[in-house]
Amino acid sequence: MALITENTRKEVTDIVYNFFADECEVDIKDLHADTNIIKDIDGDSLMFLELIEIFKKKYTLEIELKTIGKYAVKHPVQTIGQLIDMQMLIIEHENKLLELDQ
Amino acid sequence: MAEKVVITGMNIISSLGLDLETNWKNLVAGKSGVKPITLFDASKNVTRIAAEVSADFEELSKKYIKKRAGSQMTRVTRMCVTCAKEAVEMSGISFDQMDRTRCSVILGVVNSGNSSTEKETTTQNTIFKSMTNSLSAWISLEYQLMGPNFVVNTACASSAYAIGLGYEMIRSGQSDLVIVGGADSIINFEEIEGFNSLYALSVENDPPEKASKPFSKDRDGFVIGEGAGILILESEKSAKARNAVIHAEVAGYGFSSEGYNIMAPMKDGEGMALTMEKAIRDAGIYKEEVDYINAHGTSTELNDRYETMAIKRVFGDLAYRIPVSSSKSMIGHTIGAAGAIEGVITVLSIKNSILTPTINLDHPDPDLDLDYIPNQSREQEVNVALSNSFGFGGHNATIVFRKYAG
Repeated sequence: MALITENTRKEVTDIVYNFFADECEVDIKDLHADTNIIKDIDGDSLMFLELIEIFKKKYTLEIELKTIGKYAVKHPVQTIGQLIDMQMLIIEHENKLLELDQ
Repeated sequence: MAEKVVITGMNIISSLGLDLETNWKNLVAGKSGVKPITLFDASKNVTRIAAEVSADFEELSKKYIKKRAGSQMTRVTRMCVTCAKEAVEMSGISFDQMDRTRCSVILGVVNSGNSSTEKETTTQNTIFKSMTNSLSAWISLEYQLMGPNFVVNTACASSAYAIGLGYEMIRSGQSDLVIVGGADSIINFEEIEGFNSLYALSVENDPPEKASKPFSKDRDGFVIGEGAGILILESEKSAKARNAVIHAEVAGYGFSSEGYNIMAPMKDGEGMALTMEKAIRDAGIYKEEVDYINAHGTSTELNDRYETMAIKRVFGDLAYRIPVSSSKSMIGHTIGAAGAIEGVITVLSIKNSILTPTINLDHPDPDLDLDYIPNQSREQEVNVALSNSFGFGGHNATIVFRKYAG
């Protein structure tokens, strides 16, 4: 499990907001937790995977993609806020993510 | 009664320009787009020239393609989508007013352009960039079209096949509108080396603009070009219902396979002749009605000889009064895009009553004695025109275009 500090959520939030602002060519000021990734900013599902790769590298995470996939089926992500919440859970629980549903 | 198929939009991106107007102006002026290769270091290639699309294209594409989507496309795909966007704009279509389940995309695509010249590829984008079907898929995605969307590969005849198939979709009542065309670029080390090993390319690097010389005595192979061509085919009924400008009509097509050789055309142009005959029959026209032929005219020894023989075989004495020209003398051979680009040029010839020339025809081959519109364009009324495309593998296509008479 990765060490979660007070700064972690801010760090993740900054990375996610900057990622979407850059990839979707939108002003970062127009992004908020309720922004729908596909409907509002023309994002795509691949972005989620790309962010996972970014965080896997940044926090040296031990998590398999299929674990995230199984979790995401039960907890679909639509907004930026939901995506940040899920990234935090991934960072915190890594391969034990599915145990949260047990 | 079969639906009449009309053309309500079109566009070209080629070495002679990034929009329809510039291309036409340069084609009529008989300019060459062939220059030394800049897309990669060609110093080790025997052929070091090609008809490249201007680097300014990337700026133009940003007007139509978002950064995210653009990064998932190859340069060729961006060319195709940009070309299609401007063709759709020209047609004045609002897809919100159309039944999207009856709007389709059919493209001729030989390769997606995911070659060694492709820059900034990520592992995640590799698959998207390699998918030849992505070219039609991106266009379909752009407009949320829900009719069939697919690509066809018949080598250098690919986008002519796309035109024929699109025409058939509308004629048979399956679609109201089909975006047809193609895009291609094989200007990379491997493909040029490959074609050089087949002795298919011109090796006259200096001066580059003189290298592509179809029907000349001293022709020594084709020059690779790149680009995209798109036509918006629409049922006459649909076009009239929205008061669209109709530029011409597709009157028919002919497809054939030679079943002969993976590279060489069938001896004496027998297969080429069969294709033109089929197209004429399909269009229900008399041979006397044909005013112009936009030839495949590659500048190779065999193609130009056999295409000339085929035209004579089909038209007999009439062949001598039908002007024939090769756009490849100016824009090189754009491979999978050739049929569509040359189709657009043929439509513009009908629309503007101007025939574009075969440039570099300074030393005519005495065996090739048709009217090839040497070096200078010509004003001439055109009611019916053929556009020929013949591909490696014996894939042949002829499209018949006709002035729209209402």
